[in-house]
Amino acid sequence: MDCLVARCEKGMQMDTEGLVRDYLGRLEAAAWTLAGDRRSELVGEVREHIEVALTDAGRRDEVTVRNVLDRLGPPEEIVSAEVGTDAASPGAAAVLSHREGRLGLGAVEIVALLLLTVGGILLPLIGPLLGLAFVWASTQWTTRDKIIASAIAVLLLILPVLLLFSLRAASG
Amino acid sequence: MVASETRDSLTELRRGVLEFCVLAILRGGESYGFDIVRELSSGELLTSEGTIYPLLSRLRRQEWVTTTWRESDAGPPRRYYRITDRGGRALDTFATDWTRFRVAVDGLLGGEVREGDADGH
Repeated sequence: MDCLVARCEKGMQMDTEGLVRDYLGRLEAAAWTLAGDRRSELVGEVREHIEVALTDAGRRDEVTVRNVLDRLGPPEEIVSAEVGTDAASPGAAAVLSHREGRLGLGAVEIVALLLLTVGGILLPLIGPLLGLAFVWASTQWTTRDKIIASAIAVLLLILPVLLLFSLRAASG
Repeated sequence: MVASETRDSLTELRRGVLEFCVLAILRGGESYGFDIVRELSSGELLTSEGTIYPLLSRLRRQEWVTTTWRESDAGPPRRYYRITDRGGRALDTFATDWTRFRVAVDGLLGGEVREGDADGH
């Protein structure tokens, strides 16, 4: 009987060690993208965590081990947090600065927009033409932006003339 | 759908404040991984406990914390984390920003609740 209990306990011990080994194996596999020294450090940290958690619990039965591993979360998630800390920050910063550059309006851009819109009413012909000069002087807008702005401005200048001609043709 | 989206943004929020929560814990005295985790988990700040190690590694690289290995009474040696002056300054800045952020959000949420009540009755 004593022998049976001892064998049972030994078997259980093996099982829980297997669970921990499997978990750390999955972590190591998921962490293959990390630099070698950081990979072994991370696996070491998690191994230490499991050890401390089990010591703290004072038991090493299957339920305790499974709970400790569950609370750690999937190994893949731990690795993605590691990758996220390295890659996400500079990437996000680059996206932000790019967006700021595209949307940023300096004095030149504001004058250009005002001349193209309000300028067309206050100073017909001259206003929009001056506006276009400011558009092309902008350092913030790309050439593509400038060509689009110019096309719209020229179209708006030509449109009244076209309308006038078509009205004449209709009445005549 | 809405519930899961809300949870996602909670995860994002958590991610943003977690490192400062760790610094705040360390300001109370040096501590080791498992102990930091225990304190964070009790406040529902950490869902997958393992993700603390990538975070601690980053804090170390940023020189916001330093580490020392110490023998423990039970179990293997433990890596203890201690906040640096630099980490302390980062925490101070965050604490100021956080207060402003919290007041602004609380103000808006409070307003929304009142409007909701007015509509409801």
